[in-house]
Amino acid sequence: MREVVVVGAGLAGVRAGEALRAGGFTGALTVVSEEAELPYDRPPLTKQLVAGTLTEADIRLAGAEDFGARWVRGTAAVGLDRERRRVRLADGAELPYDGLVVATGARAREWPGAVPAGVLTVRGLGDVRALRAAVDGGAREVVVVGAGFVGVELASSLVGLGLGVRVTLVEPFGRPLRVLGGTVPDVVADAARRAGVVLRLGVGVTGFRAQRGRVAGVELADGGVLPAALVVVAIGMVPATGWLLGSGLALPAGRVHCDERLFARAAGVAAAPDPRIVVAGDVARCDAVRSADGPVALEHWSNAAAQGELAARNLLAGPAGAEPYAHVPSFWTSAFGLRIKSVGLPGSGDRVVVEEGEPGSEKVVEAHYREGRLVGAVSVNLGKRLAGYGRRLQGERALPVAGAEVVG
Amino acid sequence: MRIKVDYELCDGLGQCALVAPEVFALDDDEQLVVAPDPAPELAGKVAAAVRACPVRAISVEGA
Repeated sequence: MREVVVVGAGLAGVRAGEALRAGGFTGALTVVSEEAELPYDRPPLTKQLVAGTLTEADIRLAGAEDFGARWVRGTAAVGLDRERRRVRLADGAELPYDGLVVATGARAREWPGAVPAGVLTVRGLGDVRALRAAVDGGAREVVVVGAGFVGVELASSLVGLGLGVRVTLVEPFGRPLRVLGGTVPDVVADAARRAGVVLRLGVGVTGFRAQRGRVAGVELADGGVLPAALVVVAIGMVPATGWLLGSGLALPAGRVHCDERLFARAAGVAAAPDPRIVVAGDVARCDAVRSADGPVALEHWSNAAAQGELAARNLLAGPAGAEPYAHVPSFWTSAFGLRIKSVGLPGSGDRVVVEEGEPGSEKVVEAHYREGRLVGAVSVNLGKRLAGYGRRLQGERALPVAGAEVVG
Repeated sequence: MRIKVDYELCDGLGQCALVAPEVFALDDDEQLVVAPDPAPELAGKVAAAVRACPVRAISVEGA
């Protein structure tokens, strides 16, 4: 393998680049990034970066400059020709490859329809700059639409700024962080209210009001209108796979379908893996990552890191020598003084058992079972218990943790 | 193998404890504790834990 192209310079792409060199690849390595920024870490964006406790320099991905790649920044990949083994770029250039790492991540899901100025999404560094500029410029009535991880973390950061920002969090599906299941969403809701956030749960947003082209209010499905100088739309993300349309790769639900070893599958009945293309991070739907209902995509930091690394190793090893992905999912977030961590896929259970602490209190561990089998666990301010559940999940699948060398 | 933790950086996220629970754990307050003098055969797991740390707070000397 002489030429490898990595498309995407988030965590998965950077880890892939590092692992290619660590794995002995000495050929030409090109990293393509749609963003003009140097690579950075995403989890602090909605927390420490908004809060101002970390700077942009602090969240740069260390090591990204050290693996001897040619960087193509500020240019998107727009096409993939698998027969000629070329990635087509927005500026018309074509990059030939012997090996390709697809790590284009995801974009924030936009509001479906036109929006006035002052309605933002937050996914990248530029978005956080715009958000802080609006708040520093005097925006005090902020409405956050969507109480998933991004929405909840932003609401917490904004009320914590000490600038008198009034935050209303609108969540059509009833509970914040509902994906965690159990009592934790209610704990989060209580903590948010105590911090001064106004919660509007179980009501949808129908549109926006504007004055002189800028947002002035958020219209709710119940007929109410929330005054707003700034709106953050946090309704999930969309995998960045538009550039792969027409490539012949399988794109179920817009993600790149890959086999257990992270090789991209072709579309069609055979769905044969392409031995020259590996996939990593938010953009991947890997056959090895499943709930009881089938394969799921993971949009977690640890998944992007572990897949980036293994995808690169497997690309070098080729399908015959490649290892299956065997990562126990893990996730953390913090908001309103709650440190929430999870392992496995807690939302996929049919029974929740409070294993420690009082249900509904701010120190609790909940285990999630499906048909009697552990599928995940969530802790609030009791993270020390989670490693044990991680071991149990690993044991039940009889697989090593991704990235760990098996000794002996 | 000497493991160094930069506690200024460490945020108690516990990713290391998931990868190498023989060496890393969180205490009641979610502060990281590290086993002194881990066995040499754990070097691979410790290296994986270093890579799994989102804030790059862990380093190893004399592996």
